[in-house]
Amino acid sequence: MATEKKASEYVTLVSEDSFEFVVRRSAAIIAGTIRRSLDPTYNFEEAQKGRVVFPTISGIILEKICEYLYYHEKHAESKDVPDMEIPSELCLELLIAADYLEV
Amino acid sequence: MSNRRAGGRGNNRIRGPHSALTDFLAANNISAQEIRDSYRQRLEQSELTGSENAENADNGGASLAQELEGLEEEAVQAESSAMAEERSRKRKRDQDEVIAKIKKGKGSKKAPAKKKKSDSNDGDSDLDDITNMYKKAKPVPGQLENCEVCGKRFTVTPYSKAGPEGGLLCTPCGKEMTKEVKATEKAAKPKVRRQARRKVESNRLDGLNLRGAKTLQQLCIEKLAQHSLDIEEFGELPDRLMNRLSEIFSKQRVMNSRTVPLFLRPELDTVAIHEAAYLESEDYDKIFAISPSVEKLVLRNCCQFKDPNMDYMIEKAQKLKHIFLTGANLVSNDKWIELFLARGKDLESLKLEWLDAAFADQVVQSLVEYCPNLSRLKLERCRQIGVDSIEALTQAKNLQHLTLQFSREIPHERLVNLIQHVGKNLRTLCLENFLDAECETTDDVLNAVHDTCRHLSKFRFTQNNECSDAAYANLFTDWTNPPLRYIDVNSTRDVDNTNPDGPEESVGLASNGFRALMKHSGSKLEYIDISSCRHITHETFAEVFDPANTYPFLREINLSFCPVVDTQVIASIFRSCPNLKKVVTFGCFQVQEVIVPRGIVLIGAPRAQDAIEQFGDVVMDFQREGGRRVGVVA
Repeated sequence: MATEKKASEYVTLVSEDSFEFVVRRSAAIIAGTIRRSLDPTYNFEEAQKGRVVFPTISGIILEKICEYLYYHEKHAESKDVPDMEIPSELCLELLIAADYLEV
Repeated sequence: MSNRRAGGRGNNRIRGPHSALTDFLAANNISAQEIRDSYRQRLEQSELTGSENAENADNGGASLAQELEGLEEEAVQAESSAMAEERSRKRKRDQDEVIAKIKKGKGSKKAPAKKKKSDSNDGDSDLDDITNMYKKAKPVPGQLENCEVCGKRFTVTPYSKAGPEGGLLCTPCGKEMTKEVKATEKAAKPKVRRQARRKVESNRLDGLNLRGAKTLQQLCIEKLAQHSLDIEEFGELPDRLMNRLSEIFSKQRVMNSRTVPLFLRPELDTVAIHEAAYLESEDYDKIFAISPSVEKLVLRNCCQFKDPNMDYMIEKAQKLKHIFLTGANLVSNDKWIELFLARGKDLESLKLEWLDAAFADQVVQSLVEYCPNLSRLKLERCRQIGVDSIEALTQAKNLQHLTLQFSREIPHERLVNLIQHVGKNLRTLCLENFLDAECETTDDVLNAVHDTCRHLSKFRFTQNNECSDAAYANLFTDWTNPPLRYIDVNSTRDVDNTNPDGPEESVGLASNGFRALMKHSGSKLEYIDISSCRHITHETFAEVFDPANTYPFLREINLSFCPVVDTQVIASIFRSCPNLKKVVTFGCFQVQEVIVPRGIVLIGAPRAQDAIEQFGDVVMDFQREGGRRVGVVA
């Protein structure tokens, strides 16, 4: 998708079952792992292509994570943020993914 | 009444020719004359009451009573017979009804009059009158009425609800109506829950979550804790997350026999139950049965941890290195000694708190004897230990972290002796509330620390009203120890209500001591607590937090109950400490209307009635220069 130069405003996150999520770069780099893999100074393949593949994260979970990234970006400056709704059945998987992604 | 009539019957006999029928009737006490009379009388009567009704409607209750009497008299005069009696009885009923009607008419007339009176106070009674005039009178309880919504006929009760058009509703429709009203009220109410607000405040005071959203991990963990009963197992969660989960489960008091197994896995080397009060004796056995390879064991408030559990632990958990128990009061002295005998060689850290039933001096002696590799020791609020334990600890040569809080008084020379023996390797030294009433007040303890310790990074010396300011100054002057990271000297001051300014020569950390402290450790200091150090002067604060001095690592400072601290001091602290996160100023009454820079929380400002903590929102000029940015932190 976003195969242009690193300046691209959007990056693509790919799940284990090859769902692709195109999200704003500013939101994606909230997650420490994504930030580092996209950092142009390290010149990883991910940074060149603007595309990060997560072989351990399913599409459902990655979707929720993208939702969280935007939620986090939206509320970055506000106080007393309402908690995001998380379906309880996804909780554990999401927690493990969140730990891996450092969000 | 019937008696009077019966009496009157005898006086009014009329005699004349009569037929067999008349005889018969007379024999049966029935007179044709009487029937005729009573008929005529009834005619008259009805005419009379008709006109009287009209009159009475306008007259008061007195005329009613008169009418009643009159009727009775008439009744007395009337010819009486069984039929007449019967008739009169009916008539009486009719009259009663008429009277009741009149009375009611009066009542209904009176009620609006009353209403008028009260309305006239409101001022717009005229309008009300007009609107009332056209209103249908509401049915009175007990009457029948058609429901406004469903049209069914029903009996009106005092609880009947008013419909949307002003009519009445039957019971089922009324219930529906209230339901709807409640639902709309709920929807209309803004969703501000007190509980939620309280939670936010609590988090703030914990220093959590200054700004922006919670981390996804935090959200997930909280959600998990809510559904603790539905979880089958956690799966392969990393240790760090397991510990966090355990902490939150403990905080929410859902750590019990049912949930503890979630935190046990055979391969785990850490078991941390931060609130074990709900656990039974068997649950502790389960811990060691499932996770025998545990190296670090944390059980807070393990009240049901007993001798047999200790036996089982000694047998199963062969790799134990770190033990942290609080409130394990059902373990006997002998069992503690057995534990140290069995695991002593491997034991690296031991933290015990809140033991008062057992754990005596001889246990500490065997602890030192059998645990040569012990590097971290914390004994707080263990009631039975005293001087002999201090004596024993002098032989613990490998100690690096030592935290002691004794309930008994320890002579100074014993404590000094201990510091001289173990001090030179110590990284952490925490001595809380070590007083000696019998001995002369001396500065020996601080001098010993100054002379012995070379590697301290954390130093706590609190609740002391004996050591002088000069001793603190001496401690931090020309000390070969590198700068400290963590200093807590709270509540070191003279306590004498008759002399609130303290003696000539300051007792506790005062101006000189504080100056020396910041000079020595300021470059590396991350945390400092000088609450209740009352004798530090304003000039000293101004000098220490001069814009020329910066304290690059200082994150948290507690200045509570330092009376001289004012807005100016706080502002200069903000400037001097670029990494500051938290300032606590309970009881500093001169701190007013501080503008708190972004990223910093000021807790305890006395006049901030709406919020006890103030979150900085303003980006100060000095913050811009530094390019410090607080915000998106993943």
